Amino acid sequence: MRTIHQLFGTSPFGPLVEHTQRVHATVELVRPVLDAYLDEDWGRLEELYEEISKREHKADVQKNQIRDHLPKFLFLPVDRGDLLSYLKEQDAIADATEDLAVMLTFRPRPTPHILKPMIRDFADQVVRTSELLVQAGSALADLFEASFGGPEVDRVLDMVAEVNQQEWEADKRQRTVTRALLDEADGLDPVSVFLWMRTLNVLGRIANHAENTGDLLRMMVHRR
Amino acid sequence: MSASTVALAIGLASAAYMAWNIGANDVANAMGTSVGSGALTLAGAVVLAGIFEFAGASLVGTHVTETIRTGILDTSAFASNSPILGPEGPRILLLGMVSALLAAGLWLQLATSLGLPVSTTHSIVGALVGFALVSVGSHSVRWGVVAKVSASWVLSPILGAMVAAGMFLFISYGILRRDDPAAATRVLAPHLVAAVAFLLVLSFVYKVLRGIVGSPPWWSVLGVAATVAGLAFLASKALIERGRRRPAQPFAYVERVFGRLQIVTACYVAFAHGANDVANAVGPAAAVVQIHSLGALPPNVPVPEWILVAGGIGIVIGLATWGYKVIATVGRAITELTPTRGFSAEFGTATTVLVASRMGLPVSTTHTLVGAVIGVGLARGLAAINLRTIGRIVNSWIVTLPVAGALAAGLFELLRYFLA
Repeated sequence: MRTIHQLFGTSPFGPLVEHTQRVHATVELVRPVLDAYLDEDWGRLEELYEEISKREHKADVQKNQIRDHLPKFLFLPVDRGDLLSYLKEQDAIADATEDLAVMLTFRPRPTPHILKPMIRDFADQVVRTSELLVQAGSALADLFEASFGGPEVDRVLDMVAEVNQQEWEADKRQRTVTRALLDEADGLDPVSVFLWMRTLNVLGRIANHAENTGDLLRMMVHRR
Repeated sequence: MSASTVALAIGLASAAYMAWNIGANDVANAMGTSVGSGALTLAGAVVLAGIFEFAGASLVGTHVTETIRTGILDTSAFASNSPILGPEGPRILLLGMVSALLAAGLWLQLATSLGLPVSTTHSIVGALVGFALVSVGSHSVRWGVVAKVSASWVLSPILGAMVAAGMFLFISYGILRRDDPAAATRVLAPHLVAAVAFLLVLSFVYKVLRGIVGSPPWWSVLGVAATVAGLAFLASKALIERGRRRPAQPFAYVERVFGRLQIVTACYVAFAHGANDVANAVGPAAAVVQIHSLGALPPNVPVPEWILVAGGIGIVIGLATWGYKVIATVGRAITELTPTRGFSAEFGTATTVLVASRMGLPVSTTHTLVGAVIGVGLARGLAAINLRTIGRIVNSWIVTLPVAGALAAGLFELLRYFLA
């Protein structure tokens, strides 16, 4: 009698969607934390760093919970390895966001006005990339309903293609802002240039991880 | 009171307990999924299960009952002119059947309290073989039949998995992956209802017609089944057309419709379960009653209908006094099996069990259902299946057969010491 319900393990798809949302909760603070830095509101910067760190930790906890409930004897409709890579890459988005906040707290200094709009523009593009990924990732539960086929899958794959497109846009903006930074470099102290180079790099990584996560989502859904 | 009457009383009490146990514990697997998905209320499930278990047991229960009664054991070894047992033969067989029933009942009770997934079918077959081995020896066991039955225990979950996977893939490609799943559901659902109705009616209409007109020709059997299927098609089409709107959430709509369809498959499973499992209680009981009244077990005399009816009543009583609790528990536990998935699994289970029943093969409904659920999983229909369950099932075979056999052998020696 108990045989039947012993047959069912915990579905990883609901928790995966929740992880997607927790990761995005950190990305949502990218623009506020940058604004705090650019507006030289150091108190707010510190607060936001704390908040991002807290949210990143929540995503981590969720990630580990999913892993813990995925023993090898569970048979899943997707490849277990694909699912774990997807989860890992998605979590890397939150990690990169936390790195960004950490970088910003290292050396609070005024930023040249000419760079500010470009930095904000770049950050917005990064957040847009992640937002698209969240939409695609949140459809996972529906994909499972449709047993991973049909128009529902096509819709998600279209979204993943759009994530790639937006990441490319983010890359272009990163190049623009980096060139502008180096144009200004003569008038700045070398440590600030170094830190901004690193910071822009970390910001770009958020979009990169979003793109990779999208690609892994496609792999996971499309295989077989 | 003569020893043989005491044995008869013990045998019938054990058979009643077996029937009660089948109703109390096993029916839950058939109805639990429908209750869990909200397709049926608990009361509705109990009423439908009662009707269809009873119908299955009394209309199609004969085939498997014959196998249990006279198929597993070579009853000629227990005839009154038996070279080994002499005139005591039939009485030995009666005691053996009683001890087999008692052993299976005790083992089931123990296994249930330990939470082991034990099959009533495996218990009774193991018990019969155990008794035969100690009373006459291995040549009184029809090993060919035992081999066929054992093969059916392996094949029935596999066949259940294949039918369920096929049905789920059909639903998946025909409905879930379509541009408009709701419209596809409205087209396909009446066909699915008709298919289930056809298979269900086909399995017992011959028996019913034979009761009315003697020997019915094959076309009348098919005709009746097709007519009922056609009526089911029209009725379900009318019902489904009533709610004709483009739903905002197509998958939720599909699941709602399949929740209704699951009522049909739940009846189908209950029917098949009754047809297959009643024999576990009634097969040995029929032998006991016949030996007691006729002094022998003639294989050519059919199982009296009243025994099947009594078995059906026993199952219904088990369902009504205890089974509803187990249904509620199972229903709460398996919410993962949404109606499209549950429909496929139940269809695979009932079809397989019914085919096996018609072939006189006693299979385990629970194990077939487990196979069917895994089949749906293989067709990418389930989020996470615990494959360790397969190991537990294999273990339950390995444990049940020798334990039930040894228990029956021991009880037989005990009964013979006191009663013969």
